[in-house]
Amino acid sequence: MALSYRTIKPLLLTSASGASRWLSYTGLAVGVLLLLCSIQMFINIQQLLHRQGIRKGGYDFISVTKTVTNENMGMDNRFSQADIAELKNQPFIDDAAPLVPNRFRVVASAGEMIPFSSDIFIEALDHNFIDTVPPGFEWKEGQEVVPVIFSSDFLEMYNVFAPSYDLPQLSQATASSVSIILRCEGNLGSQNFRSNILAFSDRVNSILVPKSFLDWANKNLEGVDTVKSSRVFIKTKDANSPELIAFLDTKDYRVNKEKTIFGRSKQLLQGVLSGLGLFGLLVVILALMLFSFYLQLVVARSKDNLQLLLILGYSPAWLSRKVARQFIPVYFMVVLLALLVTQLVQWAFHHYVMFDRPELTTLVHWSVAGVALLLIILSVITNYRMVRRLLHKLSY
Amino acid sequence: MNEMIIQDVLPAYFQESRKDQSEIWGKDLHFEKGELIKIVAPSGKGKTSLIHFIYGLRKDYKGRIAYGKKNIEGFSAENFAGYRKNHVSVVFQDLRLFPENTVLQNLEIKRQLKPYHPPEMIPTFAERLGIGDKLDFKARTCSYGEQQRVSIIRALLQPFDFLLLDEPFSHLDDANSKKAMELMLEESHARNACIIFADLERIDYFPYTRLFHL
Repeated sequence: MALSYRTIKPLLLTSASGASRWLSYTGLAVGVLLLLCSIQMFINIQQLLHRQGIRKGGYDFISVTKTVTNENMGMDNRFSQADIAELKNQPFIDDAAPLVPNRFRVVASAGEMIPFSSDIFIEALDHNFIDTVPPGFEWKEGQEVVPVIFSSDFLEMYNVFAPSYDLPQLSQATASSVSIILRCEGNLGSQNFRSNILAFSDRVNSILVPKSFLDWANKNLEGVDTVKSSRVFIKTKDANSPELIAFLDTKDYRVNKEKTIFGRSKQLLQGVLSGLGLFGLLVVILALMLFSFYLQLVVARSKDNLQLLLILGYSPAWLSRKVARQFIPVYFMVVLLALLVTQLVQWAFHHYVMFDRPELTTLVHWSVAGVALLLIILSVITNYRMVRRLLHKLSY
Repeated sequence: MNEMIIQDVLPAYFQESRKDQSEIWGKDLHFEKGELIKIVAPSGKGKTSLIHFIYGLRKDYKGRIAYGKKNIEGFSAENFAGYRKNHVSVVFQDLRLFPENTVLQNLEIKRQLKPYHPPEMIPTFAERLGIGDKLDFKARTCSYGEQQRVSIIRALLQPFDFLLLDEPFSHLDDANSKKAMELMLEESHARNACIIFADLERIDYFPYTRLFHL
């Protein structure tokens, strides 16, 4: 017959210290709730921002220019090889590549369908930095067709002013089918190329052509071998890292304002939530400490009874297990309650604040439930170890 | 295990000269299962100390006490739990009951630890020792004599090889002491156990096989 704890349980004098016990339960519930809510909100922000950030393989890509001021106007504000090498050497920058511009005149026209012609600029960028590199984005000497990657923002701008000039507005699909004539004029001669838009880029605000074409045209039409660029693209794990922003500030480099403003608010929100999470963790630790004091008080009050049980031959390990196990249901209920309230908060946040946006889920993230489970296990183990230590002390 | 070895044992707070006057302190003794050992000494000679040393409640002694081949000084808290649950039972001079629990609960707490007897034996033993009507009373409301009989029954509800008695009849009259002794002898005989009985003086109804003066 298994040894029963029922006859032993009344020997544990718990009743007189009920207030301290309920205080620690409340503290634990509040702490766990804060912690779980912070984790859930942190995950919500990650999920919301992940969709908005133009990231590739976990990296941010941002373009950097030198700030043009009244003082340096007229000076060469382009990036030298040394500048680019310095950028690459920074620990918070994983790679950097210049946006190589054209040094010759480029005039684009769209033929009879869209009676429009304009001087434009074209640039070339390392393929690793472009978000959408379609197959066929290549050019070889002698090839008449030059593939182009067009900025989505530029198309949007075109569609804004097109009606004012009686030009048709274009969808991305239609724009891709329009055949464009690129007239390239330089000191050494001029040449016409046919061009079409192969893809649109959300990341690079430019008209990109293959680098082989730009190098060839700069050399053969203008006679320039190496071209300094005004813009450099950098690849970084976190465009909002304080080190990166501080470095760019000291070098007087400018980055995309919208991105950093967004980034700075993201940083602020995550900071606030981390602080709240840490505070929750602190409350959890305090509550666990309070509970351990309560347990110590129970053991101290029941010292004579526990000591007599040990004298009669009860095993300290068995007793510790039973005493610690006695509190599992309460711990479970406290943490479960906190988890349910977190679920309620998440539902309300998703439904009433975010209007059921698809990026978020109504259910709490699995890691939140995981943390709740971990907390239960952790508190049971720490209780068991503490009671066992106290009982071992009593047995001598 | 069949033997309890007491080798050159002396309480740490006793002078070495005590060894010369005692048949226990400083001597090499082997107590075997089935023996009835009587230890007689006036107050202050260390009877309770000896019982506590053997039961493992105190360690402030010199020398060696071994159960079988194992020195009990090296026992862990878990080892002692097993030792007290299965091999060595005791009737304390100071009774040591749970005062807020009933007599029945006090006995059941011990019985369920390693049931040697079924629960029905508790009322039987209680009737035999004249406390059958006290089972539902809180221990603290019982007289010393009644508490002493509870303590005796408690010691008999588990398996044991050695039964340690520390002045077990100090609060009992002769008639009740005899009944209790009969029961203890019967139970020890059933287990082929050794009784180590420490008391102030000899009593006629304990048929000891060896007698020691402490």
